[in-house]
Amino acid sequence: MQKEPINLSFDALVIGGGIAGGEAALNLANNGYKVILIEKRLSLGGKMIMLSKVFPTLDCSACITTPKVSEISRHPNITIFTESDLTSIEKTGEKNFIAKVTRRPRYVIAEDCTACQLCEQACPVIVKDQFQYNLVGRKAVYIPFSIASPKVAAIDIENCSLCGACEKVCPPGCIDFTQEPREYIIHAQTAIVATGFRLYDPTNVPRYSYGEARNVITSMQMERLLAPTRPFHTILRSSDGKVPDKIAYVLCAGSRDDSMGNPICSQICCMYSIKQAQLLMGALPMADITLYYIDIRAFGKGYDEFYEQAVGMGVRFVKGKVGRITEKENGNLTLRYEDIATGKLKESEHDLVVLSVGVKPNSEPADIFTSHKLELDSLKFVKQSDPLLSPAKTTIEGVFVAGTATGPKDIPDSILSAGAASSEAISYLNQ
Amino acid sequence: MSRINPKFGKELKKYGATEFSSCYNCGTCTAVCSLSTGDDSFPRSMVRLSETGNEDEISASLKPWLCYYCGECSSNCPQTANPGELMMSLRRWLTAKYDWTGLSGLMYKSLPATIIAMVLIFAGVIGYAASEGFDAEKVMHIGHYFEMFAIAGVFGVILLPNLFRMWYFVILKPSRKRVVEKPESGAKHSSGLTNLLGGIPLRIYMTSLGDFFLHMFTQKRALGCDDNQKRWFEHFILVIGYLTLLFTTVYLDWFSSENLFVIILGYLVSAIVFIVTFDFVSGRIKKSKEVSKHSRPSDWFFVIWLFLMGVTAFLVRLFIDFNIIESNFWLYLFHLTILAQWALIIVPFGKWTHFLYRSFAMYFDKLQKSANK
Repeated sequence: MQKEPINLSFDALVIGGGIAGGEAALNLANNGYKVILIEKRLSLGGKMIMLSKVFPTLDCSACITTPKVSEISRHPNITIFTESDLTSIEKTGEKNFIAKVTRRPRYVIAEDCTACQLCEQACPVIVKDQFQYNLVGRKAVYIPFSIASPKVAAIDIENCSLCGACEKVCPPGCIDFTQEPREYIIHAQTAIVATGFRLYDPTNVPRYSYGEARNVITSMQMERLLAPTRPFHTILRSSDGKVPDKIAYVLCAGSRDDSMGNPICSQICCMYSIKQAQLLMGALPMADITLYYIDIRAFGKGYDEFYEQAVGMGVRFVKGKVGRITEKENGNLTLRYEDIATGKLKESEHDLVVLSVGVKPNSEPADIFTSHKLELDSLKFVKQSDPLLSPAKTTIEGVFVAGTATGPKDIPDSILSAGAASSEAISYLNQ
Repeated sequence: MSRINPKFGKELKKYGATEFSSCYNCGTCTAVCSLSTGDDSFPRSMVRLSETGNEDEISASLKPWLCYYCGECSSNCPQTANPGELMMSLRRWLTAKYDWTGLSGLMYKSLPATIIAMVLIFAGVIGYAASEGFDAEKVMHIGHYFEMFAIAGVFGVILLPNLFRMWYFVILKPSRKRVVEKPESGAKHSSGLTNLLGGIPLRIYMTSLGDFFLHMFTQKRALGCDDNQKRWFEHFILVIGYLTLLFTTVYLDWFSSENLFVIILGYLVSAIVFIVTFDFVSGRIKKSKEVSKHSRPSDWFFVIWLFLMGVTAFLVRLFIDFNIIESNFWLYLFHLTILAQWALIIVPFGKWTHFLYRSFAMYFDKLQKSANK
């Protein structure tokens, strides 16, 4: 029983509910504009809300992101659509955009859910938890993560066995299997693309054994192991529970590498690896941490000092990119590399290897613009029409871009670019 | 201390290495190389020496010969700097460096020079045959002697002095340098003869000979490469086939032999030569593997001439057996031309020499390692 699409009107449409999209929406809303924020996942906060701490201040990432996210979600001028797909956006004239949006059903009446988690306890189905980057399991009905916004349960209908156990235990009775996707037609005067980035998929590099060796993980998985909302409340190898004491970081795993399909520097990996190394030294004081790198690129304010601090704390830095990772019978890993300082080929053993994965573009935004072409650069990031003087402008007038949609950025730069995009959007609205 | 040649990179580009200057020294190439070892690490060390133009160190290095070009380094290079092809180009450059005549360098760098030399030899063969009035029996008789004298001459005048130069660059010169830079370590209780032999006792030269022949005939080090063993096997039977063909035609005089065993052996080994080289040529045309992606004229000449040698030798003997060689004398002239070009250009100045230098590199490497123990 497909209903007619619902028509809604706003001043601005923001695509992507990560830190850049959220910041841009907040700036517009604080200036009195009505904003709709479209997020494809179940929660706002993007990648930042998943992180442990931020460099170089070592502030708790969740503690900075959650107040921001709750400010966004409580703002009277902001309407939020999570779990929604923007299928097309058409520019019909100056300050006239028409977007088609599909809201996927959560099978939970969001307004009534109290996030009591009784449904989670009742659910018999266990699958991998994508929000913990597959380190642990979750139920088929679940709260995405403890600081999710909105903090509302959702049913993963693909894995649900439709047993009805959650329905029986839900105190407000808000489980609703009859929900269907809802179509919206959204009118807006301007749009901001804040679709962010994808993490490099290290299964593209068979010689790094990711996905085959049990104790090779990505840096995002390590973020989860270190975060306040972490799955194990300690650092351990998820394969066998051993607390690691010789941890290696492989930098440029999917960055600055033609053969891996990403020729550019991802800008964040050196710093987040140094940050994780410092956090690990705090969490596991007896552990040896080694970073294998090509160059340490600590370019921002306070970054080089942060690197020096890691050196001072005893983190080992070895110049040389790891060529091959092989798993031993006990789950430990042998890393083969050339020690550039001596020119010798070496092998070293570690019990946990973290791949500092790089930043890849999200190619989705280019396809949704139907009437005008949103151009991408040669690396498939959103092209800036005037990268020096108006970095937030795209090749479509009235469409602006924020955050890592234009290329790798750290958090401060993402937020700065969101500020630029929202100011450009406001200027455009007032033309 | 080494002298730096800032123009070395430009020079090396003429030998085929065009992308190595984009290297950013990450060491991936060395780390993925299955032949690289702790102290003998390559190819990055060679990329670095090439980038800085350190000719002395490069000419003293055996590393280019220790690489058997599986291509892993090139396919995994983050900067697409093509270290595998750099190693190949260094082998060409070293071949030119060892060659006292300077003709190797000229032919590697200039295709026209190679073609002119080829044409001259063609003209020489035809001219000689014409002067004999295209008398088949006589030309074939002299052709057989030509083979023997060409082999002896090329070896004595070109290859032997070049091997001596290789030894000088690799063993003697560096040992002299060590003596100058660290007098106390270099001259320690060694006899006059040992000093003349580059600080390596004669005994080690003798005891390492076994390894030398083993590597010369089997090239077994190539088995350590990660790529499939088929390439090694093909190469192995090609080397054996080629050497046997040489032996059969020169020593056993295949073309005028009446011995059934010799005749069949000749057919067999010439067939091996052209069948294997046909596969090599088609691999280079298809460019399916890293090793066959970057063919230079010297590579083409080597495989194609080897192929033509096998085919024409096979056909000449076939024509002899069918008694039609007199009426098809052009075939023998074609074979003789290929043979002369092979013996006078490709063997002394072309890619053929890698057979010798690789074997001697393994020998010299063994000498150095035994002496250091």
